[in-house]
Amino acid sequence: MSAVDFQQLVDRQYAPLFRFGLSLAKSEAEAADLTQQTFFLWVSKGDQLRDRTKAKSWLFTTLYREFLNKRRHEVRFPHVELENASEYDVGVSPNVNALDSATVVEALRELEEPFRAVLTLFYLEQFSYQEIAEMLEIPIGTVMSRLSRGKAQLRQRLLSQEETAARKIIPMEKEKRTENG
Amino acid sequence: MDNHEAKFILSAYRPGGQDAGDPRFSDALEQARRDPMLEQWFRESVAFDAAVAEKLSATAVPADLRENILAGGKVSRPSRWTKPFVRWAIAAAFVLVAIVGSLVLREAARPRLAAWQTNALGVISSVINGKSKFDFQAHSATELVSWLAANHAPVAQEIPQRLVGLQSLGCKTFSWNGTPVSVICFMREDGGLVHLVAMSPSRQTRAGTTHDPQIVTQGAWATATWQAGDAAYMVALEGSREQLRSYLL
Repeated sequence: MSAVDFQQLVDRQYAPLFRFGLSLAKSEAEAADLTQQTFFLWVSKGDQLRDRTKAKSWLFTTLYREFLNKRRHEVRFPHVELENASEYDVGVSPNVNALDSATVVEALRELEEPFRAVLTLFYLEQFSYQEIAEMLEIPIGTVMSRLSRGKAQLRQRLLSQEETAARKIIPMEKEKRTENG
Repeated sequence: MDNHEAKFILSAYRPGGQDAGDPRFSDALEQARRDPMLEQWFRESVAFDAAVAEKLSATAVPADLRENILAGGKVSRPSRWTKPFVRWAIAAAFVLVAIVGSLVLREAARPRLAAWQTNALGVISSVINGKSKFDFQAHSATELVSWLAANHAPVAQEIPQRLVGLQSLGCKTFSWNGTPVSVICFMREDGGLVHLVAMSPSRQTRAGTTHDPQIVTQGAWATATWQAGDAAYMVALEGSREQLRSYLL
């Protein structure tokens, strides 16, 4: 791959890849590191990919694998039995438009890692459930299950964020009224 | 399909509408069209997904990330020596060189006839082919030895026992680089010929010959050369090593 082609690939994919990394990693620095590492692996191994139309999927898959490899070394997260993870059946949807990006990202990052990976691929690049299944090497049913339950957990967390934000606002208004009164 | 199952499937429906034609969603979408409650849930779900997608896409990316990737990409680029094809080509070249090298070394290490031996085989061939004649012909080796000794030609001090029993044909003398050489030809039992070559003491006889017979094949010839005293001797025949060995016993 020529330097020009590489630059074009970077321009197209580095931001979504970073955001995917950010949803998985615990810090912006780690996400940036994962993104760079993914592109460096592309430089050394990308030639082996015969179907260049799959470069995007290759990058996301590679970043995810790199993340998992790092996690295996660090063992920072306890094993989560996903089948037993509780599903939050919330009847109310949070007003996401009222929240800023950082809040949404933070809520996403609070989810268990398997949910984060599936949801981020779904939201960020709007990968189909089949593509996500291929990238993460999990069955389609598992993708759907994680999307369903992951979204429910995300709604729950965003609602909590809304409530927290609302609590912060109300006392201030009361204080103002008290001062005025 | 109940609503719970429909919600499960529709959770994978992308907010951009790319999945409208996917048959895996058709039943759930139909269910949503029939059930107002499910339709309401689906509409809110798609709106929620679209809003989350938009927020995530707006996440700021570190300002220097792109430049760092491009800079790192340059130094990560494998040299042309490490590209798979080049690696294979280099490996193949090494294998080829090793094979050719081993053949060359094997050929170089292969024992060869000394120049005087090659010359002697040439003289013998010329006699066999009728291009030259024996100097003296007799069916007795003893007679031939006597004739050679009388003509101051080199003579084997001891003739191998198997040759002594054979009928001789004749002998010939020649000079190689000023050194006298003689040949006695014997008739083998199988109709072929076997020849005893003797060369007077010289630098050539002292160099490259041993006391034990050294067997060397060259073309159709099998030869055994050894040194006794200062003289060098060679038994030669057109045949195999095994045939030759049988005359050295």
